[in-house]
Parts: sequence; structure tokens; C-alpha cells
Amino acid sequence: MKLKSLFTFSALTMSAATYAQETTTSSTPLQISGSVDTYYKYDFSKRANIGTSFAEDQNSVSLGMIDLALKKTTGKASFVGELSFGPRGQYGSVPNGNGEAANADNSFHIQNLYTSYAFTDKFSMTAGYMGTFIGYEVIAPTGNFNYSTSYLFTNGPFQNAGIKANYVFSPKVALMVGLFDDWNVYKDVNGVSHFGAQLTVSPVEGWTAYLNMLSGRSAGAPGTGSIYDLTTAYQVTEKVKIGLNAADYSVSNDNGGYSGAALYLQNAFTPGFSLGLRGEYFKTKDIPDSDGSSVTSVTVSGNFKAGGLTFIPEVRFDNGNTTRFVKNNLDPTKSASQFSLAAVYAF
Amino acid sequence: MHFKFNRSNQIHQTVKSGGFLFLLFFLSSVSAFAQSSKVTEEMPRDERGKYIHYEIVEKNIPADSLKERALGFLTLKKLKSIQPAKEEIRATGKFIVTKTALMLGHPSGELLYNFTFEVKEGKYRFWLTDFLFIPYKRDRYGNFVASTPKGTPLENNPGKLNAGEWASYIDAADKQSNVLAAEFKDYLAAVQKIKTSNPKKKVISTKSW
Repeated sequence: MKLKSLFTFSALTMSAATYAQETTTSSTPLQISGSVDTYYKYDFSKRANIGTSFAEDQNSVSLGMIDLALKKTTGKASFVGELSFGPRGQYGSVPNGNGEAANADNSFHIQNLYTSYAFTDKFSMTAGYMGTFIGYEVIAPTGNFNYSTSYLFTNGPFQNAGIKANYVFSPKVALMVGLFDDWNVYKDVNGVSHFGAQLTVSPVEGWTAYLNMLSGRSAGAPGTGSIYDLTTAYQVTEKVKIGLNAADYSVSNDNGGYSGAALYLQNAFTPGFSLGLRGEYFKTKDIPDSDGSSVTSVTVSGNFKAGGLTFIPEVRFDNGNTTRFVKNNLDPTKSASQFSLAAVYAF
Repeated sequence: MHFKFNRSNQIHQTVKSGGFLFLLFFLSSVSAFAQSSKVTEEMPRDERGKYIHYEIVEKNIPADSLKERALGFLTLKKLKSIQPAKEEIRATGKFIVTKTALMLGHPSGELLYNFTFEVKEGKYRFWLTDFLFIPYKRDRYGNFVASTPKGTPLENNPGKLNAGEWASYIDAADKQSNVLAAEFKDYLAAVQKIKTSNPKKKVISTKSW
């Protein structure tokens, strides 16, 4: 706790000192943006079967969320506040409202709530609650090509509260280091317990790779959890994009974890239509009394764009090494498949 | 709405029922959007078919002074890759395209362009062309960033569904080129003030009046 206080105090003091030296301040208009999404999903076993985040309802035209984001920059200081309402942003995400289970269905969700200060063009500090720096996919549907989410996304952190410093060494290299709370919490009851870092490298135009790590002991956890993550994307041509996410998560003292990789291939056939394939392998780790299991997933999604609206038809096939899914008659089975249609509007 | 199945072949009917609403919604949206969209191509094109803002200005100012001022302007406006040659300067720049309504809005993309300046005794010409559009997307932290490093030429056919949006980008290129060109001409026409490093501040005395 002392560490956190010291870090916060230092950041505020440095901010104040630098701000005092400013002779001019520029202000940008308040930015408002967001998205709305809704979907229909049909699992061919006639019940929700595949463990994807958010798009869970079977044979129903269901809601995603309305997401509202505000951003304002004054001089070198800025803030972002982003709230979401609806299943995707409420009980589909964590935490719910005040974190009480009873309030899970009647709350909003904070996607981002932070302030930032750019001391120079190269060095900035940010404090608050932020979308996680780990992984390829995000909560907001506008940030993903596929509508259903990967196992790596579902099992990884969604957001991190904390304070972080970012330094840009060159247009090709940047480093972020930070102190963070437990995953997905607005407050940490066991102190600022996690350390995280992100090395960003952009070797050639169009290719960016993020090497991420986050380690710490969450409240009540049996061991220290550490995640190492590679997220990279390469825009090969104007039309072709390749992405890769690989991650390994372990909890010390043989307390499990997971590892996996997801490959993303996308091609823009026309300015208004793109097709994307996601192939994923995901495995939970063995723990003393239980073997881990694995699943392979293939998702094919189309993106039809008309102005701010994106229409996403999608089919997905999952196959596990154990009987993790169920058939129509509830008999266990190793495979599952689903079809979904989603409409996402960004503004 | 909930459906129950009595026969396996009803699966298809159910998928049709649920998906039908979505398809109907999407197709009607697309239809309406396409009908409301029309590309207005007011910006002129050059002999290559590229959009261009082109001007020739006659000014009774020595060529080297014009070139010096042009260089100062491009530096002031933070254009990149400024390459001065004997009688010309080449540079690259970008315009931010912003959707704004009632003082609220956000950047929706950027327009990259090539800027060329050529000078002769008593006159100069300049043009902005090779416009590339890069759409912005909101990243995980709520900031708008380029969604791709590869820009799309403004001359490309955006398709019916995105024609309205694309027309607004062409319009933005035209308007922002006009603004930049006006500033450029003003800058080259005016005698630049010499900036002193420590300008003397005027002190107002309230003791004697």
C-alpha cells in the first residue's frame, strides 16, 4: 500500500511540477464515441454450449451492450471514461457494479476510467482502471473481427487497475511498466499486488508485436499467478492481415493455469466485405488431482460494413480432447458448433 | 421469443426465423444507406486521375525568399520528409478527419498527402495530391488510433454501402486543402516578423495616473 501511495504521490507531484512549467495549454473538444451491438446465436445442440464470452444466449435475439466513451485532453493531461450498459458490459464482464452478486443483473460496467499525463512526447504516465494490455481481443465488439471470443480472451484478464509509465524509445520500440491490482477489480483488498510490463516493437511498417507479462498474487489465491503473452499483428497488404496471440498462465505451487495460441487471418475482398478465420488451441494445465484438457476451435466470420454498421455472420466449430460439450439429448460429446449473426454499430 | 423443436428438420426453420429478423434488418439498413448515399466529386483530378489541389501564384517576390518562406511554413505545420531541392520542395503531410456535431465528436481517420512546391522568379506553384485515407478505430484504452498502416487511395471505389462516408472524406480533403493552401499563400505573401528570444513584456504601472 505504501508503494502504491508513493508511486501515486510521485506521479501527481511530477504532473504538477511539469504543468506549472507549461506556458501554453491546448484543449481538444470533448470526444464522445461508443458502440451498440446485438446478436442472434444458434448452437446446433440446441443449448448454450461453447464457452465464449458475451454471445451466450441460445436461439434468441439478444443484446450486447451500449458502450459510451468520453475523452478530453487539456494540454498534456487527458482522461478517458468509458461505461457500458447491457449484458455484455454487465454480467458478461467482471466485476459487476459494486462487485456484489446480488447486483449482477442491475449494474453498469466501467471499461476505462483513467487519467493520463504526457510529460514529454516520449514519456507518459497513466493511473486508473484500464482495458488490459494482455491479449488480442477486447470487450468492446468494435475492437474484434470475430463476434464470439477466444478461450484466451475469456480466461485472461479483462481489465487492470493500476498505475503505469510508458516510454517511447523510438518509433519502433516502446516500454510500459506498471503496478496493478488483482485482475478485473476496482479496488484491491490485498494491496497493489501485481507487476506488469509491455514491450512494443514495430520491426517493419504494418507489423507490431507486444510482449506482455503480468505477475502477482491475487487475494485468496493459492499461489502467484504469472501470465506471459505475445500479441502481434501484421498488415501484409492493404487487404491481408495476419494476427497471432500466444499466452501461458501459471499459478505457482502446481495450482494450474493455461496455455494456448490463436491465429487470425483476414482478407478484405472489397472495401465493404472482409472474411476472417480464427484458429485456436487452448489447454488447461494439470493440477495434482486432475488432468488438464484441451480444445481446438475454428471460427469463420464475415464483416459486412455499411457506414458505421458492421454485420457479422459467423460459424464456429470447437473440438475438445474430452467430452466437454453436450448433444441435443444431453449426452456428453467432444465437439460443438454454432452459428451467429451480430450487428455492431460504432459511433 | 422461444422455439421448441419437435422434429430435427425444424432446426433450419428456427434458424431462419431468428436469422431472418437480422437479415431483414441488415438488408433494409443497407438498402436505405445505399439510397441515401451519393458521391459528390467536386475536388478536381489531375491527368493521372488523382485528386489534386493545384494553384499557381504570381508574386513579385524573389524566388529564394519564396522558397525560404515555404520551407518555414512546412516546418511550422510539421509536415514530414521535407526535401528541399534547387527550385522545389517536396513533403508529406496529413489531415485529421473529424466527425463533429455540437462541439462533440471524435477523429474518424486521417488523410495522408504529398505536397510539392516549385518556384520561379516572380511566381510559384504548389499542389497537394496522392491522398490516402486511413480509418481510425478506438483502441482498448478508448483512444482513436489508425486501424491500419496502409492507406487506401481516395480514388478507389468504396462500393455502394460506404459511398456516403467516402464522399465525406473527399469533401474533407478538398476543404482542408483549401484551408492549408490559403494559409500557405498568406504566409508566403507576408513579411515574416523576426522573433526575439526574450520579448520585452509591457508593464502597467498602477502607481501614477
